[in-house]
Amino acid sequence: MIKAIFYKEWIKTKWYLLLALLVSLGFSAYAMLRISRVCSLKGAEHLWVVMMQRDAIFVELLQYVPLILGLVFAIVQFVPEMHHRSFKLTLHLPMRATSALASMLSFGMSMMVLVCVPALLLMWVYLQSVLAPELYWHILLSAMPWYLAGMAAYLLTAWVALEPTWGRRVLNLVLGVLLLRIYFLAPSPEAYNDFLPLLAIITLCYSILSVLSLTRFRDGRQD
Amino acid sequence: MENIIECRNLTHYYGKRLIYDNLSFGVPRGRILGLLGKNGTGKTTTINILSGFLQPRSGECYILGEKIGNMNPLTRRKIGLLIEGHVQYQFMNIEQIERFYASFYPNWKREAYYELMSRLKVAPHQRINRMSCGQRSQVALGLILAQDPEVLVLDDFSLGLDPGYRRLFVDYMREYAKAEDKTVFLTSHIIQDMERLVDDCIVMDYGKILVQMPVEELLGKFRRYTAQVSEGFRMQDTDGIYTPSVIRQTLELFSMLPEAEVRARLSLQGVADVQVEKVGLEDAFIGLTGKY
Amino acid sequence: MFKTSKIFFCFLVLFVLVWQVPACYNFFMAKSVDTPFTLYSSIAGEFATLQVDEDKKMQYRDASGREYTEEQFDSILPTFYYRQLITDGRFPDTICGRAVTPRGIQLSNFNMRISPLDLNKPRLGIQQMLESMSGRVDLELPDDVFRITPEGMEFVKMETNAIDHEKSARFTQMMKQKGFLFPAANISGNPTDRKEYDEGYVMLDAAGKLFHVKQTVGRPYVRAISLPEGMTPEHLFITEFPSRKWLCFLTDTEGHLWVVERESYAVRRTEIPPFIPEEQSMLIIGNMFDWTVKVNRGTSECYYAISAQDYTLIDSMSYQTPSHTLPGLSFTSTKDKFVKPRIVR
Repeated sequence: MIKAIFYKEWIKTKWYLLLALLVSLGFSAYAMLRISRVCSLKGAEHLWVVMMQRDAIFVELLQYVPLILGLVFAIVQFVPEMHHRSFKLTLHLPMRATSALASMLSFGMSMMVLVCVPALLLMWVYLQSVLAPELYWHILLSAMPWYLAGMAAYLLTAWVALEPTWGRRVLNLVLGVLLLRIYFLAPSPEAYNDFLPLLAIITLCYSILSVLSLTRFRDGRQD
Repeated sequence: MENIIECRNLTHYYGKRLIYDNLSFGVPRGRILGLLGKNGTGKTTTINILSGFLQPRSGECYILGEKIGNMNPLTRRKIGLLIEGHVQYQFMNIEQIERFYASFYPNWKREAYYELMSRLKVAPHQRINRMSCGQRSQVALGLILAQDPEVLVLDDFSLGLDPGYRRLFVDYMREYAKAEDKTVFLTSHIIQDMERLVDDCIVMDYGKILVQMPVEELLGKFRRYTAQVSEGFRMQDTDGIYTPSVIRQTLELFSMLPEAEVRARLSLQGVADVQVEKVGLEDAFIGLTGKY
Repeated sequence: MFKTSKIFFCFLVLFVLVWQVPACYNFFMAKSVDTPFTLYSSIAGEFATLQVDEDKKMQYRDASGREYTEEQFDSILPTFYYRQLITDGRFPDTICGRAVTPRGIQLSNFNMRISPLDLNKPRLGIQQMLESMSGRVDLELPDDVFRITPEGMEFVKMETNAIDHEKSARFTQMMKQKGFLFPAANISGNPTDRKEYDEGYVMLDAAGKLFHVKQTVGRPYVRAISLPEGMTPEHLFITEFPSRKWLCFLTDTEGHLWVVERESYAVRRTEIPPFIPEEQSMLIIGNMFDWTVKVNRGTSECYYAISAQDYTLIDSMSYQTPSHTLPGLSFTSTKDKFVKPRIVR
């Protein structure tokens, strides 16, 4: 049954996932291309010195990419379920509603990982060739909260989309935006290092919020 | 007789507006029950409660002996649900949707679905959101036939269908339900469809049930009475008399009382020369609930 | 499951309120406390202050309340306003009985800021070692970086991203020979070409011993600095001031500020009362006679005057700076460059 839910989610999102993968890889590849241009024009030394002296990490343009990818992904996945309230069909399936929801969200999270990990791998592999481990980990660790923000954006948008009433949806949206701010407070690179494990756990916990929307939907809450 | 669907003392409000108070009814095995009522009398509310998408203020509902709300998820295999407007997953095509549902139902009847689909003029890869409402209704019907549930809950199945598809749906459903001894609970806003389809009916008015009986019995007893009356005539004593009205000095009223008794009551009020006629389900519904 | 999600939701609402409400209140309501600009005057023998009054007029005073004109104020702080005095043709021949020249004043003046923000931040782990005796006037950045591992010092060529084993061995060997125990516990340098001279790095080794390490004519220069009995150094601050008087400043675990003199490597304690470098910022404005040391202690701003000759405490004063901020949850702080949840009072 979980396989069937995955099949349904796949039909809904496959074209978007392809696009998301291309966008995610495309942005990382572009960021790497810019670094490689700096290397060829001014030499790797310039890159190293700028990173050491000016807190530069050269991948700032990736900052909001996972966030947008996660947000749109949740819209693509959950808005069709709310269209004509066809989420009722999912809830009428002979499986526990929470299992159905959990399957949908785990599909989404796995796909987010599948979209983000190749981009990180691409950076990791390329950066290793021009930078010392201290420097490429400096870049990757600084980018980590952005990728967590992508996951959080996905889970929070799912929660907002599944909420049946507009009043509560707006409240959830405001709360969601504030919660997403937490991922973008870095005053300088690697500022999240100590907080990352806890932040990852908090991010995963956002998945439980959708149960609230699900229950409200099933109880027939209306505006 | 065992009731497959049983609702006891349902009370529901939207905010402070009372929808109904202490509503109880049951649907025995193998019967088709239609819920009739004007807009806003709580038809969809009842369907939503029955399909588990609304928590009533108080009261309880059982399907196949299990309380809705803490039903074993696997019991839902035996319940077919048709959502208002024949909604199905818009993003799937007819092959995908069949493959999707098949994994949830061990007794899935693939042939029944594809037999119906073969009559539709749609390509196998055409997505459901590109189909007409009529075609969608056939897909929804095909899925229900393949699921082969014991109980069917159909929410306003006539919504959006043209007369041809409506007739097709009604005839298919009736034949299927009778041949396979299925229990059906349905609503529709087109009463003629109900007449061909349902065994029993519940007619609801705001906050209460007006009539709950087999359609045959209702149509057997229910009569329309008309007579000419003088200007300023007002009907008194309306016990057992439904929606009396006077338009251009013509009195019209409905009743299930024996004809002789109605005539006697009318003559006491000076009304003579009374015409009596049998009515169909639609007129009976209007007679019971009024035009307004 | 529903209960858990409801509890989690309530928790999140509370969490966001505890974070955002105080933040908004503090953003809109908090007023900054302006303390007067304060410097110690060796001529007046007390602190002198400059403050803008309600009519936006400058008020020049000293700690005893005497008022000064702007010109008088320049004169009692001649090392600070020496350029104004030169312009006015009022630059003195002697100050406090010592013959002075503008060049001498310029060389001996220094500013030093020790900020929690510089201590509480992620460290990159690689640094550059300049050539401190290149024979050229201008310093140049090297083409390599170094890291300190538990095994030794490792130089990496930037262009090729490859380890320079020969140079690494040279430095490691020399340091080990001088008694350096790897890895380093702390390291301070100022690897930039925008300074007058280079003193390389001061380092604390794994045993807590202090070393001076620099590169002279491509060779390692390593010198162990003997510390006074019972003193445990904690934070190091290389100075590289124009006067070349000191190698570095350092703090010990008790919060005292010490100086290491450049020529003699003598380690001497200043009489600045202890402070907490991880939480309190310190600003030193020094000249050839005295240092004005400002320590921001949170609810008060303390000023100390220190003798530039023997680092004894000459005078002190403080301003109360009560804060009217609402306590709450915050992720960032003015005292570090980390993002993590913490309660702010």
